[in-house]
Amino acid sequence: MADRPLSLWDQLDHEPDDAPEPMRAPAREPAPAVRPSPRILRVTDLNRRVRGLLDADAVLADVWVEGEISQPSFPASGHCFFVLKDASSQIRAALFREELARVPVPPRHGMQVIVHGRVRAYEPQGVYQLYVESITPAGAGDLHARYEQLRTELAAAGLFDDERKRAIPRWPRRIGVVTSPVGAVWRDIQNVLRRRYPLVELLLSPSVVQGAAAAPTVVRALQRLYAQRDLDLVILARGGGSLEDLWGFNDERVVRAVANAPVPIIVGVGHESDVTLADFAADLRAPTPSAAAELATPDGTQLPAILARYRDRAAAALTGRVEDRQRFLDAEARALSRLAPDITTARQRAAELVDRAARSVEDRLERRRVGLAAVRDALRTLSPAATLERGYAVARAADGSIVRDVDVLAAGEALQVTVARGTVDTRVERTRAHDSEDPFR
Amino acid sequence: MIDDATLADLGDEELAKQPFDELVAALQRTVQQLEAGSVGLEESIELYQRGLRLHTACEARLRDAELRISELGRRGPASATADDG
Repeated sequence: MADRPLSLWDQLDHEPDDAPEPMRAPAREPAPAVRPSPRILRVTDLNRRVRGLLDADAVLADVWVEGEISQPSFPASGHCFFVLKDASSQIRAALFREELARVPVPPRHGMQVIVHGRVRAYEPQGVYQLYVESITPAGAGDLHARYEQLRTELAAAGLFDDERKRAIPRWPRRIGVVTSPVGAVWRDIQNVLRRRYPLVELLLSPSVVQGAAAAPTVVRALQRLYAQRDLDLVILARGGGSLEDLWGFNDERVVRAVANAPVPIIVGVGHESDVTLADFAADLRAPTPSAAAELATPDGTQLPAILARYRDRAAAALTGRVEDRQRFLDAEARALSRLAPDITTARQRAAELVDRAARSVEDRLERRRVGLAAVRDALRTLSPAATLERGYAVARAADGSIVRDVDVLAAGEALQVTVARGTVDTRVERTRAHDSEDPFR
Repeated sequence: MIDDATLADLGDEELAKQPFDELVAALQRTVQQLEAGSVGLEESIELYQRGLRLHTACEARLRDAELRISELGRRGPASATADDG
């Protein structure tokens, strides 16, 4: 598809330096003033117009075609040309060197395939042909069947068990990366980490990630990383593609190498929908290589804010400590001041107690005093003086004994009679006994 | 690993060489110790100053960080131990 020299027609529409864009459809009409009628086109112009028509067709730009490969040729250019045909029709097909390197099986005569690509015109020869981007061997989805079988086997062997999954270190210092050193993936990973967490150190273990050579190369690249010391994490990454493109990541050797990683490993292959067996064996699966880089690191753009929060917390804690201290001192002061009224109260209570005790003693004394007076009165009533006061007298014989009976006395005998307020010395004139018990009857 | 007090007492140059995550971890521990409130006022002030210093060191590391990249099998500081086979 080499570009031909510019035609006159092109020069009318373009600046001389303006290289023609191969994908562009020449939509504009030629200037009528300089063209005779009927319009006569040059062959080149015609082919270019046809090519533009085909390029503008969205369906032809992205087609899947099933057919049989016929007469493949492999010229020195490294490209591959063949005819794709079915029972009644055929089309020329081209498979360029870059795409050829990625197909799982090289095209062979008679092979039934499904090809993916676009239809374009090849202007120098005035032909349209199929530019093939990928080839899948037709026939019962062989790859899918192998994929499923291997997945079942390796799952049974425990390679995909959740218990095997290790946590991704939160603050990795050194990350090993297995991917192709050329292309967008390695660049994307670097860009993500430069923006997100440039504190990390990256160690690339380059590998082929496409085609038949991918599997052994990836395994070797992984093992070289595994031999490194001080590695916190491994990322295995490649861009998206068809099942054939990614086939190396379904290779049992690769899957086992991933499962045997001595440090946590993140696999980021393709775009979202592509899940390879290596993904299942990884500690963490990332939907894309960029996502793998993100999952591998903390978000450094958030770190200044997080660090500032720690600083603020420290300040708040210290302020809190000072305030606590202040509150403690205040409380102490209040406690001290509370002790003063306590003394007053205690003193008052003590005084009350003393009063009560005194009152109680006095009461008891008073009660005793009253008792004593009663006893004294009683005593007074019983004493002979009181009896004498009431008019009785006590008679004593000469020997001093109290006279209760007349028999002990004889006439003329001396008698001493004591009354309330004096004593009478007298003599007995005569004695006379009473008839009854009661002397006053 | 050295303890947080020793870490925070390092000179600026030495402190800048410590792994970033260890600086952050030391900052976290310092703040937690402060917040636990089981230390006296004097020690709280010391902890606070330690936290400030660690915070400054972390910030400087973030500000000055540049992604370091090396490749196995190529001449370079990180590839010295690489086995080229």
